[in-house]
Amino acid sequence: MTTRAGRAVRMAYVVAVVAGLVFFVMSVALLGVWPGRVLDRQVRAMSPEPALGLTVSEERGRTIYGREGCAYCHTQQIRFVHADMRRFGAPTLAWETRFDFPHLWGTRRIGPDLARAGSVRTDDWHFTHLFAPRSVVTDSVMPSYKWLFDGTPDRPLQSARDLVAYLQSLGRARELAGPEGDARARERCDCAGDSMMQMAFASSLNTSAARTRNSGAAVPALPVSINERRGEQLYAANCASCHGPRGAGDGPGAASLTPAPSDLSSHEYATTRVVDALWNGVAGTAMQAWREYSPDDLAEIARVVQRFHVGQDAAIPDSLLATGERVYIANCVQCHGRDGRGDGSAAGELTIAPTNFRTQRPSMNSSLRAMREGVRGTRMASWTGRLSESEIVAVAAYVRSLYESNGGR
Amino acid sequence: MSRDEAAPRVETSLVYAHGVAALTTLFVSVAFGILASIQLLSPETGAGTPWLSWGRIRYAHTQGIMLGWLGNAFFAFLYHAVPILTGRNVTSATLGRWLFALWNFAVLLPGWILVLAGVSQPLEWAEFPIGVDAFVIAGLALAAIQFLPPFFSRVLESLYVSSWYIIGSLVFTLLAYPMGNVVPEVVPGAQGAAFSGLWIHDAVGLFVTPLAVAILYFVIPAASGRPIYSHFLSMLGFWLLFLVYPLNGTHHYVYSVIPMEAQLTAIAASAILGVTVILVVFNLLMSLRGSGIFPRDAGLKFVVMSTIMYLVVSIQGSLQAQMAINQAVHFSDWVIGHSHLAMLGFATFAAAGGLVHAWQRIPWARYNARAITWSYWLLLSGVVMMVASLTAAGIVEARLWQSDAPWLDSVRAARPFWLFRSLAAIPITGGFVALLAGLMTGPRGSGLRDVGAVAGADPVRDMRPVLNRAGEPA
Repeated sequence: MTTRAGRAVRMAYVVAVVAGLVFFVMSVALLGVWPGRVLDRQVRAMSPEPALGLTVSEERGRTIYGREGCAYCHTQQIRFVHADMRRFGAPTLAWETRFDFPHLWGTRRIGPDLARAGSVRTDDWHFTHLFAPRSVVTDSVMPSYKWLFDGTPDRPLQSARDLVAYLQSLGRARELAGPEGDARARERCDCAGDSMMQMAFASSLNTSAARTRNSGAAVPALPVSINERRGEQLYAANCASCHGPRGAGDGPGAASLTPAPSDLSSHEYATTRVVDALWNGVAGTAMQAWREYSPDDLAEIARVVQRFHVGQDAAIPDSLLATGERVYIANCVQCHGRDGRGDGSAAGELTIAPTNFRTQRPSMNSSLRAMREGVRGTRMASWTGRLSESEIVAVAAYVRSLYESNGGR
Repeated sequence: MSRDEAAPRVETSLVYAHGVAALTTLFVSVAFGILASIQLLSPETGAGTPWLSWGRIRYAHTQGIMLGWLGNAFFAFLYHAVPILTGRNVTSATLGRWLFALWNFAVLLPGWILVLAGVSQPLEWAEFPIGVDAFVIAGLALAAIQFLPPFFSRVLESLYVSSWYIIGSLVFTLLAYPMGNVVPEVVPGAQGAAFSGLWIHDAVGLFVTPLAVAILYFVIPAASGRPIYSHFLSMLGFWLLFLVYPLNGTHHYVYSVIPMEAQLTAIAASAILGVTVILVVFNLLMSLRGSGIFPRDAGLKFVVMSTIMYLVVSIQGSLQAQMAINQAVHFSDWVIGHSHLAMLGFATFAAAGGLVHAWQRIPWARYNARAITWSYWLLLSGVVMMVASLTAAGIVEARLWQSDAPWLDSVRAARPFWLFRSLAAIPITGGFVALLAGLMTGPRGSGLRDVGAVAGADPVRDMRPVLNRAGEPA
């Protein structure tokens, strides 16, 4: 009885042919070739034409990304799952991967997904992060890639530039396709009844949680901070690497970032200002949006930031303010706006938004330094030589008078 | 028939050579693994040295375990088992020396060096670069030429089930290897990932698993002295496994853009696979009636634990392929725990069992029974520690990822579990050192004194009736 099953076929090579060959061909046809054809059709229907590939530098960066095993801690595949989409943005579509030879999807996430990591952070943040990951991300377990640099994070070799160019390209094709591209893809994908594919278009485009938004984009109402210990822990774990343990902008990651991280101890901030920076990030700087945090946690962090400022400056004489106002109106309003809200006529053209003095008051020293030396990495130039010393002092004092601790609301 | 009557020659020197190569590559691969685990706790370890960076040693670790340790151990076992299973010699001892040299000096050594030097491909279980892949394929072809012809002159019903697994695996892997290593380089993105998914599963499911199961089916009757419980069940299990295993691959990309029909096929196949493995393990465990969970025979002891872990890891795999569970634990340390239960648990215990079994029967090889017993218990405790900590870490990570917690909270939360995982390296390394001591120390030829029920003057001759009783018509 036990051998009847074996008698139908007599020779051993039958096993080789059926188990080894036939089952192999069947599996490859069913789960490799056939899905590939479906995906090919989908790519042709949905991809913008002509499709945007990688530059030569980005392509070299991709090779480095592959050889260093980046894909073994960072996936590049946002699943059609709400937890993924909330953190990393729209699910990865096949056409977005059409130039990936080979694919870099990955199956393990120790670090976050990078499918839409492009332009979340600035290049110099990436250089600093690759050179010394823990200088900007406390508790990161990422290896250091020092050999891509000539000794310091602000001296990247070609390989580091290529790698960062590649990182900044991630998610770009979809972003450039824009809402029109998504609308077109949705129309042509023949997937009206496919609830999962519809998810790919439902989420707002490229919504990486960490992507910076324009200042002033809606922020959630924050509760009153009650747990200072929690705030201090969060600050130490997430902010101190750049802004320094006491908020002086002197954390280990600060040296190679341009513009430098804000010296939080030399500014007074309205709550709205801190929340805006935390929730929307600061576009054009290394400050990402911290939308993964609950409003409770953001409120705790905001409280810690506000407490860094100590001391009162001497009262400012009215005559000085009058001079300051005159000089301000003549020189500063194009960017900082008539009322100091950072909304001058040229403000929209600037990558980094001009300071809103209604919600942020620099210390006198800080204000003077900005006037005399400018702010490196921004369009704020040095006014030494263009204004007299007394005018500089007057403007520096004037902008400090604009502050409204309730944020001007 | 006259050739059948003569005792076939086991190429003991090739068993020995591949055994030594298996252990050597094992220690190198384990060192990579330990360093990678320590770097997660202390990322500055080796910082700034390209060839010591996490990504590169991660590549070297898994390729070394699969091709070096398991590959060599399987070859050692095949040199022992094929002549006994077929009554014929392997094709050629000279060919065997070429295969040995090719596998270790044209695949592993250059593969490791190139991967560490930054020449690799970022594809799971396929990290050695294309140039090395050519030698792997050549090696697999040589292995087919070496081991398959002795089977092909036999009618099926005189072939014991281990033979079926060996034939199926050698042919399947020869075809699947280029599919997984080359196709994603020429087929882009999502389409390439579909092929990658197939290979990720084929590497474990059609190379490692059938050869490990062949060892289980071989050692159990050979060491216990009793035939397999049911030849029919073993056949049923074989055909179901070879049908269903290759259809699992896409379960590595659940909730991806790969067509849902393909994902669901793979998920269904994963569920059926779990049932099939229950069938196979039932047959194996029933064959062990009377031997106990911890039999005295050293090879059998490893093999029994391998069988149990095979059951656990397969049921776990079936469950984690299901969408509700996959959604949560995919990308987490749960999966790393699963793969170590498969490779360090099931496959390594089978390979060690097969190697010990074959080693005991090399008349001139040293053997230290006490060290082997130490090896077994140290490895078992190490595997349990490691898999338990990684599985727990995966659950914690999955919970945090579903919550509002910032990403880095999941990294911070994993660290105590990672510490425990790194500590598991102590018993695991100890276990492998003991295994090495067990095979390299002790009196020559003393292995035979330690074998179980069928010890005798000529163990090769003694085992054949045991196997044949199962394989031949009553």
